[in-house]
Amino acid sequence: MSTGPGPFEKVYDEHVVGIYRFIYARVGNHPDAEDLTAQVFVRAVEQLDTSREPGQIAAWLYRVAHNATADYWRAFYRLPLVGTDHVAPGWEPADDSRPAADPDERSAVRVQALLRRLPDHYRRVLELRFLERLSVAETATAMGISNGNARVLQYRALRRAALLGEASDG
Amino acid sequence: MADDDRPVDDAADRFDTYLEALLGEGRPSPEAVGDRDEAEMARMAAELAASVRAATTPDPAFVEQLRLRMRQADAGIASVQRPPPVREQPRPSGSGRWRLSRRQVLQAGLGAAAGMAAGVIGVSLGSRTQQRQIADDDQLVAGDGFWTEVASVSDVPPGSAVRFSTAAFDGFVVNDAGTIRALSSVCTHMGCTLHFRPDWADFRCPCHGASFDLAGRLANGRSAWRKDGGYRGDAKAYPIELPDLVRPRVKVEDDAVWVWTAQA
Repeated sequence: MSTGPGPFEKVYDEHVVGIYRFIYARVGNHPDAEDLTAQVFVRAVEQLDTSREPGQIAAWLYRVAHNATADYWRAFYRLPLVGTDHVAPGWEPADDSRPAADPDERSAVRVQALLRRLPDHYRRVLELRFLERLSVAETATAMGISNGNARVLQYRALRRAALLGEASDG
Repeated sequence: MADDDRPVDDAADRFDTYLEALLGEGRPSPEAVGDRDEAEMARMAAELAASVRAATTPDPAFVEQLRLRMRQADAGIASVQRPPPVREQPRPSGSGRWRLSRRQVLQAGLGAAAGMAAGVIGVSLGSRTQQRQIADDDQLVAGDGFWTEVASVSDVPPGSAVRFSTAAFDGFVVNDAGTIRALSSVCTHMGCTLHFRPDWADFRCPCHGASFDLAGRLANGRSAWRKDGGYRGDAKAYPIELPDLVRPRVKVEDDAVWVWTAQA
């Protein structure tokens, strides 16, 4: 196509990386982040009014992204989520569904705060597995425990971290 | 949820399959998650995995592919998810059989195309060379079929390909450095008809730009880009993996190339 980018493509160019990061910060893997990002923009190309104010456009996109990740996690819970985390994408002013800061930093800060609150061996196993990306076997070696114990330890550590995360969400 | 108060060995092993997929940049499955507590753990794991800054940039090939999809959708062209229109082809001379349209073949599924024809193999030319076969091919020929003469070896010098049509099959006869082979001309993505590019020695899809090599394998996917650092002047990698092209059995008798084809 020889024509320049249309209004929708400008919206896409401006937001695709931000939306992708917003979603990636919530699903933690690229294949799912790509699928959900595509979902957001497929919906946007059908429904988004590109003549709106830039702030309203951004709010709309981040609400749709928020809802897409909520739907994604619903499949993991196999239960309807209770509560208010599903936000209708309207034209109200932006709220906290759009991250105030760079989602990378927000997520890293939150994770660091959480890890500090864990017992040492829980913190260590999560750091080795998730931040340093060691395998179970490498983590077990680094900690001087068996592979089976490393799997149990990461399991217990994630349960504890999930509890703390829930508490700090509220 | 209560902490540390249940047997966790089995659960820990099962949940580790979720983590292996997540940390291996695969696609983690809800199947590995047992209950609500574990779903909370999965969310926590995803957040931990995402907190490593270097991992958060989208693949440029993905961004470009989605941009094209958006541009087409925005222009009202819904071509991306839809097979191309049926292209009428003349009935092959000398055949009294009715032929399947491309759409009928597509509706029957590529599996039917495979069952119809596929066997192995490149037939080696010349006694000095190779019993070179294409790896991991099975003999899939089943049911009634017959051999059809489709080309002359002299028409297909090394590195070239010629089109052929049988009652139920459209494809290319390929000479891959001395090995004669037959390949389907139907792209395994959406069923568009591939065209041969002599300069690149590949089969190119006009719809979304997939290229297949002379063995029928996707040549410009992401794994090929990672290995070779690019493909033949393309601006981006083909974004999804595709199955190999269907390979019917071939035989060479004197100068004649024959292809096994099923009863149409």
